[in-house]
This record gives sequence, C-alpha cells and structure tokens, in this order.
Amino acid sequence: MANMKTKFSAIGGNSAGFRLLVVMLGLLSLGGFWSAYMMYLHGHHITGMTNAIPWGFPIVMAVYLIGLSAGSLVLSALSSVFGRTEFKPLARISALLAALLLIGALMCIILDWGRPDRILVPFFSMNPRSMFSLNGMLYSAYIGICFVYLWAMFNNREKLVKLLGYTAVFWAVLVHSGTGAIFGFVGARELYSSPLLPPSFIAAALSSGTALMIMVLYGTFKLTGRALDDELIRRLGLYLAAFIVVVAYLVFIENVTRSYWPGNYAVQKFLLLSGNKYSLIFWIGMIGCGLLFPFVILANPATGKSVKWILFASALVVIGVLAERYIIVIPGQVMPMEMFPGYHIAGPFQDGRVIDYCISPMEILFGAGILSFVFFLYALGLKFFEMMPDKAVIDEGTAGEKK
Amino acid sequence: MSELDRRSLLKMGAAAIAGTVIGNGITLYSASAHAGEEQNASADTALEIPPKGKARWGMVIDNNKCTAQCTACTAACRTENNVPAFGDERYDGHWIRKVTLTPERGGPEKHLPLLCNHCEQPPCQHVCPVAATFTRHDGIVMIDKHRCIGCRYCMIACPYKARTFVFKETTEWTNRDVPKRSHGVVEKCTFCAHRIDQGKIPACVEACDKSGERAMIFGDLNNPESAIVKYIRAVATKGVREDLGLEPKVFYTGI
Repeated sequence: MANMKTKFSAIGGNSAGFRLLVVMLGLLSLGGFWSAYMMYLHGHHITGMTNAIPWGFPIVMAVYLIGLSAGSLVLSALSSVFGRTEFKPLARISALLAALLLIGALMCIILDWGRPDRILVPFFSMNPRSMFSLNGMLYSAYIGICFVYLWAMFNNREKLVKLLGYTAVFWAVLVHSGTGAIFGFVGARELYSSPLLPPSFIAAALSSGTALMIMVLYGTFKLTGRALDDELIRRLGLYLAAFIVVVAYLVFIENVTRSYWPGNYAVQKFLLLSGNKYSLIFWIGMIGCGLLFPFVILANPATGKSVKWILFASALVVIGVLAERYIIVIPGQVMPMEMFPGYHIAGPFQDGRVIDYCISPMEILFGAGILSFVFFLYALGLKFFEMMPDKAVIDEGTAGEKK
Repeated sequence: MSELDRRSLLKMGAAAIAGTVIGNGITLYSASAHAGEEQNASADTALEIPPKGKARWGMVIDNNKCTAQCTACTAACRTENNVPAFGDERYDGHWIRKVTLTPERGGPEKHLPLLCNHCEQPPCQHVCPVAATFTRHDGIVMIDKHRCIGCRYCMIACPYKARTFVFKETTEWTNRDVPKRSHGVVEKCTFCAHRIDQGKIPACVEACDKSGERAMIFGDLNNPESAIVKYIRAVATKGVREDLGLEPKVFYTGI
C-alpha cells in the first residue's frame, strides 16, 4: 500500500508567518497564566464565580478540551484500530493534539483550584470514591498513553501501534465517561444527576473533536503548503454527521425524560422555555450550532460535498459543543436547590432565587490563554518533530478496496 | 437559683473539664458536669463525652422558638470561628445562616438557621478528590484546610449549600483558638469540634440559649438518655432533604 510509505517530516517553521503565529499564541498563553496567577494571588472574587456558582468558565473549558481530545485520538486510531488506512498520514498530528488538548484540560482544572500550589496533594492522598480523583488518574494515564503511542508511531513499531491504538480508544471511553460522571453522579442537583451524561459526553466529545480536527487539519495542511485530499475531509464530514445524530438522540432522551416528571417542571421550564440567556444558549448554541445547522449542511448533498461547507459546519459544531458544555456546567448551579418544598426560601446565601452568572473577562483570558497554549505547543511540535506527512492523498487502489 | 447563676456554675464545670484536655483534642476523661433535671434541653451547656467512636453528635432546631430578628447563633459562630464577612453576599462565608421560609399557600413566615447537617453519608466527603473532607470518630464532618486544594467539587455536591469558599484574604481573627480562614480553600461548620473536645456545646447553641430563645438542642444521638434523643422521641422532627438518603444529623421541628 502506498500509504504505508508515507514520509513524515518536521515543518521548516522559519517563515515570518509561522513566527508571528507562535509569538501571538505565546503572548495569549502568557495572558492566561497571568490571569491564573491573579486568581491565586487575590482569590477567586476577581472572577465571575461566587459561593452559589463555585464552578465557572474554567471548568466549562476543561470539560470542553477533554472532549475535543477524544475526537483527535479516535481519528488517530482510525488507521490502526479501524483499518481505515487512508487516515494513516494524519495519525501523528492527531495523537499529538489529543495529548496536548488533555494537558490543556488538566491545566484548566488545576489552575482553577483555590490552591494550585498543592498540585502534589492529589498524588499522595487519593479518594477512590471521588470522580475527580479517579479522573486525575485516568487523565494522567491517557496523556502517557498518547505519548507512548506517538513514540511507537515514530519508531514504526506496527504491532505496538495497533495495541496502543486499541488501548487508547478504550482509555478514551473511560476518560470521557468519567468526565460525564463528575456531573452525572451528583444527586443533589436536578440538572446534573443523570446516567446519560457519561455516554452523551462521549458522543459530544466525538462530534466536537472530529469537527476541530477537520478545521485543524485543513488549516495545518494549507499553511504548510501540503496536499490534503478533499475526499478525506468529506469522509470526516460523514463521521461528523453520524456523531451529531447520536448526540441529538441522547440530548433528546435526556430532556424528554426530565421534562416528563412533574418534580422537574420548574428546572426544565427554566432551561428550555424561559427565554433567558441559558435557554438561548441551549436552543441557539447547543441545538442550533451544535446539532441542527451542521447536520443540515452535512446531510444536504449540495453542501455536504463541499469542503468549504464542511469547514463551516465544523466551526458551528466546535462552537455548539462549547455551548453544550456551558449548559452542562452552569445552569445546574444557577437554579436554586429545592430544600423546603412548599416554601419560598430567602437568605444571605443568595438562597431561593436564580443566581446570575456572567463569564468575567478574567475567565475569558484564562480560557483563551490555555487554548492558545495548546496550539502554541502544537505549532512547536510540528516544527521540532517529524509530525507532518508530505501529503495526505487517498491512493486510488486502496481507496477503491476500502470503499 | 436563677437561670443565670445556674449557667455560670455550669460554665465553671465546663472550664474544669477543659483543664483535662491534653492537646490535639484528645480528651482523657470527662465526667458529667451536671445530673438529673439539669440535663434539661435548654440548660445543656456542658457535654458528657462518651468514649472515642461512640458519640454521634446531632442537633435539634425548634422552629417554633426561632424568631425573625434574632441573629445570636450566626453572630456567635462568626466570632467563634473567624468566619469572614466581606459585606458582599456573593463572597461572605456562612457556617450557619438564617433563612426565611414563606409558605406558598400563605400563612406566617418561618425563620430558621441552616448549617452543615453532618450527614452520615456525606456527599461532600464522597466527591473530595484528596480526601480533605473526612468524618471524625464522633460523626462530625470536617475539612482539613491544609489538604484542601480548593477545587470546590464539595460545594457542587452538597445539597444544603453548607459550604463556602474563602474568596479573599481574610484579616478577621476574633478567636485565637481557631485558625484564621485562609483564602483558596473551602470551609464549613465543624459543630465547634474544638469546643466539644473541651466538653462545651457549640457556640451557636450556647448563644441561642443565652438569647433566651432556646431553639437549639445539641447532644449525643447515640445516648438514649440524652436530652436530644428524648426530645426526638417525644416530638416529630424532620431533616432537610431526607429524600436524598444522606442521613442528616440536624433535625427540625415545625417545618
């Protein structure tokens, strides 16, 4: 097979454009670290978080980045695990991005702690009943697996690559189930508690991750002047459409189940029908951008074959899933918890009313900074390691067999 | 003997017991400071400490006695535990807070304090990634503030909003027996464990007694002779969100 002999090389990275990109990403990363340092120094009151909303945008970003990482890893495993050899040229960069996105996610979580200086504590005192503690182990191992997987690919250990590919896919399922469980296992909050969160987390991870990879691949190949077969983008577009259907189904079931039970009328009304910013983000961001519009674009034969339209649909999904992560994390805290049925409660802890949460500039700087840091490392990875294939073109012979 | 005299006498008894404490909250031995009719709910200012692991401290709050304007318990807690008040409801620490309940179908308002329920099955402890939240031998749920990383997962898991994050550096240090609150970690009610170890009842209960409302009873739920158990046996009490099955140890009457 021609694809087996794909040549990988490092990009030159000497152009003014590349340097400008790296400097810009670096500066943005510094901005993110500065905001994290300010949060540590002055306390979290400089963010939009309050005692009633203890988890803000950094946690949204963390679960979002974890999700994005999954799509990259699955794309990387398509050739070794699922036998789609036409994706082999993309395996290295996808595995690299999978690892980096998860590093970014971990940084979002840790730098958001009140005491990030206690970074070593979780290693020495664990709580196997805590989803956070378990996920800490799952995430660290996942990053490790990604790097060993990369190493195996660099050294052409075909058998090891296959084994690690399987391990990585299995581990990704664990990682994303575990992340969904952080919220799904919380029994005290109606909008969190759900056994569907782990699977719908995996599904949204696959859709957003695939969408991001479509954009990153297109961008990377364009900027480095290498040939990327349109057919590869189209096939990824098909996967994306399939993932969107699964996400839509799970979101539908979850909300119908919750809406059916009278005890949940208040929260569901708040989330779906109230017309506040949360229901707007739900309908326009999560349903519109994340599911409906991209699906129509991808399923419509007139647009689904066009690379430009697929890129547009991917951008919508990447935004839509960020909205979905926001809807998972925030509204569950904004709604008051029903402690005394039959009574209105008022108290000094903002009791008994819907509490407004606005993402603060500090948190935006934080989130944008960490995301920039991920791509800063990605750009350096392409420069210093033999990540990029000379071209990613479907060989006529193999493509015919596989199709 | 007037109530006041009796109480000061009991206080002296409590101080005597405090003298037997040998560091680190380990109590060697403490005898009942009072007997017979003194073990009356409202006059219970000294505690009988059972052997290690035998006690299960609990609290009853009689909502019929708690009035709107009284803030004795919350003020006492703030002073006793150096709980920060920044004058901003978004960041103020609350170990115990007074809430107002207005019945949806009309009727008189109810006022009651909410605090950590020291659940037998504490979800905050279950979710803590570093096991900084733990249950003491006598059932008190506590936070090791030197181990807490400030991830705030416990605040998400607690159905009572009993936990607050220290959002800013605090300067208040009203009681030198209790550490100053340090920013970046989660804090909550300890049932005044440091006082219990000295044979004293929690500051909020003491303040409630002093205010004359006597709406709170504190005692050992494992001791069938304690005032709190006698009260629970005689009067219908209710925990908040008992449906969650967390077995809270703060009981309310009149809600």
